[in-house]
Amino acid sequence: MFYVALKMLMGDRAKYLGLLLGISFTAFLVTFAGCYFAGFMTRGFALISENSSADVWVMNPAVDSAALTTNMPDSALQRVRSVEGVQHAVPLMLGDVDVHFPNGRFQSFQVIGVDNATLAGAPFLVNGASPEVLRAPDAVIVDAGGTSGKLQTPLRKIDQWPHDGVHLDVPTRELMPGDELLANGRRIVVEGRSKTIPRFPPRPLLYTTYSNAARILPAAMNLLTFVMVSRQPGISAHQLAQRIEQRTGLRARTTDDFKKDTVRWYLINSEDVGDIVTMLVLAMTVGFGVTGVMLYMFTYENLRQYAVLKAMGTSRRTLLSMIFFQASVCAFLGAGIGIGLCALIGAGAATIDFPFRMMWFTPLLGVLGVLIISLAAALISIRPVLTLEPGVVFSGR
Amino acid sequence: MDISLNPGTEDLIAVRCCDVTKTYGSGTAKVSALRGINLDVYRGELLMLVGPSGCGKTTLISIISAILQQDAGRCEVLGRDLTTLEQEEKDQFRGASIGFVFQVFNLFPALTALENVAVPLLIKGVAYKSSLAQAQTLLDSVGLASRADAFPGQLSGGQQQRVAIARALVHNPELIVCDEPTSSLDHKTGHEMMNLLGDIAHRSDKTLIIVTHDNRILEFADRIAHMEDGRITDIGTGKARGQLL
Repeated sequence: MFYVALKMLMGDRAKYLGLLLGISFTAFLVTFAGCYFAGFMTRGFALISENSSADVWVMNPAVDSAALTTNMPDSALQRVRSVEGVQHAVPLMLGDVDVHFPNGRFQSFQVIGVDNATLAGAPFLVNGASPEVLRAPDAVIVDAGGTSGKLQTPLRKIDQWPHDGVHLDVPTRELMPGDELLANGRRIVVEGRSKTIPRFPPRPLLYTTYSNAARILPAAMNLLTFVMVSRQPGISAHQLAQRIEQRTGLRARTTDDFKKDTVRWYLINSEDVGDIVTMLVLAMTVGFGVTGVMLYMFTYENLRQYAVLKAMGTSRRTLLSMIFFQASVCAFLGAGIGIGLCALIGAGAATIDFPFRMMWFTPLLGVLGVLIISLAAALISIRPVLTLEPGVVFSGR
Repeated sequence: MDISLNPGTEDLIAVRCCDVTKTYGSGTAKVSALRGINLDVYRGELLMLVGPSGCGKTTLISIISAILQQDAGRCEVLGRDLTTLEQEEKDQFRGASIGFVFQVFNLFPALTALENVAVPLLIKGVAYKSSLAQAQTLLDSVGLASRADAFPGQLSGGQQQRVAIARALVHNPELIVCDEPTSSLDHKTGHEMMNLLGDIAHRSDKTLIIVTHDNRILEFADRIAHMEDGRITDIGTGKARGQLL
């Protein structure tokens, strides 16, 4: 009877294709929403991903996310280095600064101060050059950090550092090596541009040495935001993190745990994420509604055929199996098409810096979502079939 | 009116209804569809049920087909008392012992003629290939061997009704219930259809109960039961009845 169910399903091509399209769209929407969300979250812990050589991140006990910059005293670095099992530990300083552009415009940047000696944490330049350029006095590397148009500086000399006020609506160009800016009133020199993982929320970045960062950031008692630790052989990252916490009283997290903490922090604290999730849930609800109604209508429109089958002796169990089979076929085919489409579009979108990341759970989310709604629709469709009086197949009924 | 069979003929009875009543709705909307039906139908007999619309014909064949449950009275079909059967047993009984021919054919538009004929066998759990082989034989017997792969929409009304007849017979049921089988057909095709049904009934000793408004086919009946207002008011032979009407 599954063959009959399949033929009933595919018999009316237009209706079947419409149904499949609706389910594919829902699967696409759900999967894309998941990938979009994963993309944003990936950007949320971009700093951690960039520094993949760090096994353990050490921070102020009050910090539970890469988005927070509650600092520690510089002595914390030496305390961490003294813990047994630490191969090496380097400092990382984060802070925000308003940068004064030559035409008078101000732009907020996140400053990332990396270890003076090793430059660990500094990115390679877009032309492939080494971050060694940071060793020059006042040197910085600028990065769009997922923004666009924030690194524009005046094109003409006449619009740079003018004496007659600001020159905002003037022709501009991208910052390039040799450009000078003022950060918190201190001179900085652009030595190159990098293209790291875009941030969430998007913000332009200034990479510089730890000492230069300390020079340009507003004065504060504590400047050390994170200590990035590499472990010695023979000790796991978890064990080392535990040991650092016990010995120093600081918070120490493995790279994976710190990413999870950051995602959790965004989920709880970021209103942007809440808004995105609300929008996605709404979109998914609409998709689910469309799928459910279409499947229900499909069964409802075939009621007469079910009545004929019932009259001819088809048991309730067989009828139910047929309906669930039809729903499952639609769900799996639609999910396949929707997820395939999502992967194709996502691959294209990722090339233009769209926050898209297909993680293992996102296609699963799409399949499960569509399967659940299809089976729920089938469940709702069952009632009219079960309560259907097979006598309707007779004349005048 | 007592229309029971003569004593000693019980083995020949395919359908026996005793004081069958059926009511739809309740309160002021209550409608008595059957008001004490007594009817015996013989094995191998072609019985026609005639009467005005709303007289209870469809309700009666629904009860005989184990589709509806009567409110009171007893209905025995092919030796089984339908009131004692559970729903699942009724489904099995219908699937195994009753064939249906409907007024509007009720073929499955997505299935070919051959597959439509095979449906009752598939319901019984016969394997797909075997079902098609048996269906092909039946399709041959109704003269539609060459249209086996056609879909219902590609067949004429007469051809569709032939497919429906083949479908009603493919699982070799003992009782065939037909609901206005000729009302959608022209006179010539209707006669061909009745010839086919009558031939099958007499040749294979099957019982046919046909509900009809079509006076032109009454001549094919062995007996005709006239219904009015939920009761059988008269029963007689086909030819005589045809002349009366």
